[in-house]
Amino acid sequence: MKDKSNSLLKLNRIIFVLAIIGLIIAVYVLQGFLRQAPIVCINTGCEQVRKSASSYIFGIPVPAFGLVGYSLITILAFLRTFSTGKSLLYAILGIASFGFLFVGWFTYTEIFVINATCTWCAISAVIMTVIFILSVKSYMLLKK
Amino acid sequence: MRLTNETKIFIGIIVVTLIIVGLGVFLFSRPEQILSKEDLLPAGTITKGLVSSKVYLVEFSDFQCPACKSFKPIVDEITSTYKDKLYFGYRHFPLTQHPFAQKSAEAAEAANEQGKFWQMYDYLFAKQDDLSDAVIDGGVKELGLDTAKFQADMKSDKVKNKIEKDLADGNKFGISATPTFFLNGKKLNLDQLSDLKTAVEKAIQQPL
Repeated sequence: MKDKSNSLLKLNRIIFVLAIIGLIIAVYVLQGFLRQAPIVCINTGCEQVRKSASSYIFGIPVPAFGLVGYSLITILAFLRTFSTGKSLLYAILGIASFGFLFVGWFTYTEIFVINATCTWCAISAVIMTVIFILSVKSYMLLKK
Repeated sequence: MRLTNETKIFIGIIVVTLIIVGLGVFLFSRPEQILSKEDLLPAGTITKGLVSSKVYLVEFSDFQCPACKSFKPIVDEITSTYKDKLYFGYRHFPLTQHPFAQKSAEAAEAANEQGKFWQMYDYLFAKQDDLSDAVIDGGVKELGLDTAKFQADMKSDKVKNKIEKDLADGNKFGISATPTFFLNGKKLNLDQLSDLKTAVEKAIQQPL
């Protein structure tokens, strides 16, 4: 029992830290979108992605979705430090599942529609995928 | 309300993150520095236009970089339209991810030793899709260069040192991508090709 709650605690810490990193990336990339300023990128894809119409959904820039998603996960992971209720984890799992599908869809769009990949988006996609895997793991632990 | 240890750890993480981000923002938002003309146009830099122009533009470029090629017609246009109002300098910034960039820069410098830099510059950008040795040799013939001298110059220390200096300066000036333009010492942030022309024209029209 103690092992289980310890594992859950650790998983929650990792999710929290990852969500903060995701949040910082989202804020940085979003300010680039809003100020129309170049985004510092390891490869040359960020600018192409930033300027593509596919990087907006109903007029909302894609990093804004990341910002909301990561903020919610950060807050929920924080709340889990003083509440053992299951609903918080379910909420994280829900957001992470949506996030996972979202980054999957956007990575596909980058490669096949925009024909460019941006380093930050790729890092964010990895982070969201890991958060998703960890929240599934937490869910399974909790259900045991 | 008593905080659990876990909550304290999380608050700690938040505080540390805020400090790191705050420092990062502080360091990266330092006011833009204006570089001196001596730093941007050291002796030996390849230039075009009127030396005494009040406006000078320096480009750090890579012959294998597609964006540099896109900017080339704009650069050609402004340097010819404003040849008596603008002093333009070309400096090398061959990126490591471009396998032919270094060699092309050497070829351009070797052509410069025979007074044909700009012809080689036109040739290399035109052949950007394939900058193999054979293509460079083709350029040597096309421009009527002395092949033996060209080959020797390509390997010379003078040429290598010059490109190395350009690269080192570019890194010192904080260049992260090509092309990067400096207009009167100030780094330009260009969103689209036409921004370059607009910025140069604005600088030319401004009274001293």
